[in-house]
Amino acid sequence: MSKPLSQDEFFTALTALFTTQKQTQKGTILLTQKRFTYDESAKETPEQEQQDDDQDPLASLSTPLPPAPILIRATNSKSKEHRKEGKKVKLSTLVQPDDIDAFYARYADVCKAGMSGLKPRDRTKRKAKEKARRKMKAQA
Amino acid sequence: MPYYSKSEDWLHHSSLLLAARPTTTRISTNYHLSPARRTPKDATPEQIAEDEKKGKRGHLVITTFDPKSGASLKYKTSKAQEVGRLVQMLGNLAGRAAGVVAEEGTKKDEDVEMAEVGGEKREGGEGSGVATPVVQQQQQQQPQQGGGGGGKGKKKKGKR
Repeated sequence: MSKPLSQDEFFTALTALFTTQKQTQKGTILLTQKRFTYDESAKETPEQEQQDDDQDPLASLSTPLPPAPILIRATNSKSKEHRKEGKKVKLSTLVQPDDIDAFYARYADVCKAGMSGLKPRDRTKRKAKEKARRKMKAQA
Repeated sequence: MPYYSKSEDWLHHSSLLLAARPTTTRISTNYHLSPARRTPKDATPEQIAEDEKKGKRGHLVITTFDPKSGASLKYKTSKAQEVGRLVQMLGNLAGRAAGVVAEEGTKKDEDVEMAEVGGEKREGGEGSGVATPVVQQQQQQQPQQGGGGGGKGKKKKGKR
């Protein structure tokens, strides 16, 4: 796994990923987010895990979580053959708890621009209604 | 592996799962794009117009998955106007996973739990009279739909 990129680098790389997908008109982009807890001391041992299962499942609700960064990953989900050719792209970045709002505002913009293959809002019905209304007015 | 029909439902259940297992739960956003279908030669203009509209052949699946309990909650859409809202939801959930807005989440959970309990009572009332097969069906469906998530909900109700 390559090192996490800075946010700016991540967004440029993600935009490039979306652009190449748009050009080829096919493909899959997979984005993942999770709490970043790669810390040897904080890692759960099997024993702890078992304890965890035995415990009341609501226990984690009462104890507040310590703040941790969010790990965001992006890949173009290419298979093994492509990996050998170097076509597989894997990106990752870490978002600190304070930056989440700012990051997601930019993330939304990039995603909206990148996911242009989705259907736009259907305005035909509204247009038809407006036409009908105008006709009614004209008649009256 | 349920697909939710409303993104709000997905958000709600994802936030519950995230509250229960904040360290292991991950959220994946999967954007697929496949090339537009070739229009047949004898297609009418109407059909062509429809195909052009359908030519946008992308879809988006968001999945909340917890490997520990095996719960997987999904939402699928192909509407462009939903992207902004969904990313906002992702941001909301990311905030919870990061431990920033945890309090808000628990408050909301309580409210809905009450509603759920209320709903169950009503179901029981109807079922006890005539429609026993219907109740059985519902019980069968519940574990399928919820996966690990459904089990989690039940535990909570039992505690209260």
